[in-house]
Amino acid sequence: MNKERFKAALPKEGFCDLRYQVFELTTIKGTKAEIDAAQVVRKCGGNVRALVGGAFGTYCFTDENDVDNAFSEALLASRLVSGNKALQALEVNVDYVRVSPKVDPRQISIEDKKALLQSYMDIFMSYDEIVNLETEYYEQFTDTLVLNNKGTEVRQEELICGISFRITSKRGALTQITRLSFGGSEDYELLSHQEEAVHDKAKQTVALLDAEPVKGGNYDVVLDSDVSGLFIHEAFGHLSESDSLIGNAALAKTMTLGTTFAVDTFNVYDDPTLAGFPGSYTYDHEGTKAKRTPLIEKGKLAGRLHALESASLMGEVATGHARAKNFGFTPIVRMGNIYIDKGTHTLEEMIASIDSGLYLFGSAGGQTTGDTFTFAVQGAYKIEGGKLTGMVRDLALTGHLFSTLKNIEMIGDSVSFSKAGGCGKGGQILIQSGKGSAPIKIRQMGIGGQ
Amino acid sequence: MKKIIENALLVADSAELYVREVTSTSVSMRLGEIKEVAGEKKLEVALRLVKDGNMGVAVATQLEDPTLIERALVSLKHQKSPAECFENRELSDYDTALGVDQAVKEMTTDQLVALVDQTSKRLKVMAPDVSTGVYASKTFKRVWLLNSAGFDSAFNQTHLALGISTITPQGFHGAGKEFAGGGMPVVLDRHLQELITLHRLGEKPVSLGNEKLPVIFAGRAMGSLMMRVLGGVHGGNVLKGVSPLAGKLGEQLFSDKLTIVDDGRFKLGINTRPFDDEGQAIQSTCLYEAGVLKCYLSSPAQEKKFLDQLNVVQRPTGNSFKRALFSQEIEDAPSIFETNLRVMGPLTDDDALIASVSRGLLITGVMGAHTGNINGGEFSLNISSGYLIENGQLVGKVQGSMIAGNIYQFFKEVEAIGTEVEPMRSIFYHMGYSPMVLFKSASIVGK
Repeated sequence: MNKERFKAALPKEGFCDLRYQVFELTTIKGTKAEIDAAQVVRKCGGNVRALVGGAFGTYCFTDENDVDNAFSEALLASRLVSGNKALQALEVNVDYVRVSPKVDPRQISIEDKKALLQSYMDIFMSYDEIVNLETEYYEQFTDTLVLNNKGTEVRQEELICGISFRITSKRGALTQITRLSFGGSEDYELLSHQEEAVHDKAKQTVALLDAEPVKGGNYDVVLDSDVSGLFIHEAFGHLSESDSLIGNAALAKTMTLGTTFAVDTFNVYDDPTLAGFPGSYTYDHEGTKAKRTPLIEKGKLAGRLHALESASLMGEVATGHARAKNFGFTPIVRMGNIYIDKGTHTLEEMIASIDSGLYLFGSAGGQTTGDTFTFAVQGAYKIEGGKLTGMVRDLALTGHLFSTLKNIEMIGDSVSFSKAGGCGKGGQILIQSGKGSAPIKIRQMGIGGQ
Repeated sequence: MKKIIENALLVADSAELYVREVTSTSVSMRLGEIKEVAGEKKLEVALRLVKDGNMGVAVATQLEDPTLIERALVSLKHQKSPAECFENRELSDYDTALGVDQAVKEMTTDQLVALVDQTSKRLKVMAPDVSTGVYASKTFKRVWLLNSAGFDSAFNQTHLALGISTITPQGFHGAGKEFAGGGMPVVLDRHLQELITLHRLGEKPVSLGNEKLPVIFAGRAMGSLMMRVLGGVHGGNVLKGVSPLAGKLGEQLFSDKLTIVDDGRFKLGINTRPFDDEGQAIQSTCLYEAGVLKCYLSSPAQEKKFLDQLNVVQRPTGNSFKRALFSQEIEDAPSIFETNLRVMGPLTDDDALIASVSRGLLITGVMGAHTGNINGGEFSLNISSGYLIENGQLVGKVQGSMIAGNIYQFFKEVEAIGTEVEPMRSIFYHMGYSPMVLFKSASIVGK
């Protein structure tokens, strides 16, 4: 990484920055009981931006010698847009952040990683009705240099490792699919000694074959921490990413700070500075220091996530949430670790408060288009007379954000975070995106079934 | 490049080098203002080695990467999957004009900005009160593939996408329309008028109950269902037993009105090219002919497995690509993906098709296509853009409803197929083209 060469290439005019990244991804994959693939991807490249006209011009390159051309192209592109936009109140940082995991996955041999993976795969495949298993170990190391012509010079290492399983059970024509993840941090140690969780998930996946298909309709529901985390990520988190507010006066009005969205015990934060979760980091990809950001406090809109441009245009503080999948992409506003903070109710109290409803467990992916959202879950228990009874399967949920937030009645008394990151936006899947929550109870949630 | 193969052969029995150079430009405009002009020139390199029956893979962004061969050897040491046999496969005749449009190739950034600007202005003239967003990207790709068996070929590809959307008074997504392919888009006034009509229907919200209704999936929404079709015919899924289609070749699984083809030679299609990422000639593969399952999509390595496990002669179809569902970067070994999926059948005029519905839905957008048991054909989707049809007329935009089912039941009940094709998406990426399709009945979960 030729820092001095890159510094020399930075144009003096307007605002210009450069992000150069060396990206290494080690993956080991298995199908059923066999580990069948292992590889180390190594890529490096840069992404430059220039703001000298009415909008950012950007350019990505993979050959270091193209850096001058990249800036020329970015300057040209920015000048094509009429206007003279400038960034206000820039934060200048100079730092070098290194990772220091308790157990560094890069120091563990591929043989040992395979042995650990194999031990979990053998447990899953020992269950008769588990017919397919897709397993992946991932370890992503990124060395990022961010420079800009205002003085920022941040070099940051990021490391994340984890194991994910996609488990399929089958009986006759009926198939059920669940997921399980470990890790999601820089520490390899968190991947070991997970046999009990593997057995539990295997049993649950088989038990779902006995579950009834859910009948579509509206239900009072309790969401476990994993599903609540997915809910707040999809339903509200994306809306708090303020790049969608730029120039959109109507949405900005909807998102006026202080507007009441939920009950006064409902609090939501995004905090990349929490250590040990998928969305933990020190600086974002613009070189801004990450900040714990209140999004909803006491039920009222309290803040939003910003990149330099959105913060500047809205006259707010840049929160350090501009990130990119890798050098091939421009940084956009992304969540770090979003979570619903704890309330006062126990899970038992929440279940006992429902006469007829569902307790949903295990997230299985979601999507939003702004004010509406949908997500799938791995399964649910019926709640009858305040008690958990049989399981139901094949669930997907949908809702309108603002009415659903108002329907949140109870918030659990402890927060836990998902071990799997992952979020797609603007064509970029970012695995370093964390979500957590306390369990929550929501009235009358729409559930799709056949 | 040949030097890399030569060096690889010093330590391996056979080798294959894949190199892709992508130059692209994109312009995004929102509410009449350009938000960003982005460019890229990116090189990606993938080396595969075979030694003693094992195979290794390494990916880099520079041909000169000194660790490329070394990393492929590390990968090789830990692979258990059977090694590919790199061959000098024969290619069919391929007219380069099938995949390259000179006008797109030579399009400048100024011209791309002008395309976005003009599209935005046309909309503004037709509906001054409607807020809009316009996005365009143009890409020129050059791909080289060499192997130690003597295969040495390259091709070029152009791609241009234009997306137009409206923004609701509350600031959210209203209606959308996309154009995508290897050539320049032809945006007619009626396309823009249709977009405005659908946008204005958003001012008339309607709620549905839990009911069964006839449903029209617009071409652009068909991708959510075609992902499930693809999961079923995916050779790897058939071999793993997670597709329900093993042993069903020749069976009538869908309506006889429906034909589905994977056509890698479709002129200026989204993914038209002469060979796949393993050097297998691209072809046009009929998957379902008048509803009868005719073929799976498979790679050369799967040919023997099909014979051994299922006693099926399944020739490779040229569908191995170095991409993933959520990434078109090289991050993985080649796996089975579509080229240009095309939905075809006896055509009905689009307006007549809508007019034939006394009470039903027109669905132009869904959410949640990537969730659920995709390979099993199941779907449970939020209707993010859906319109109620009453007496053949669109009367309002549906709020808060879901549609659920299984394609192996749903596709039996195709009533009619529309005329104008639209690009389909599998979440991030375009996957082919479909006209609107009318299904007899679907389970809707409403208010």
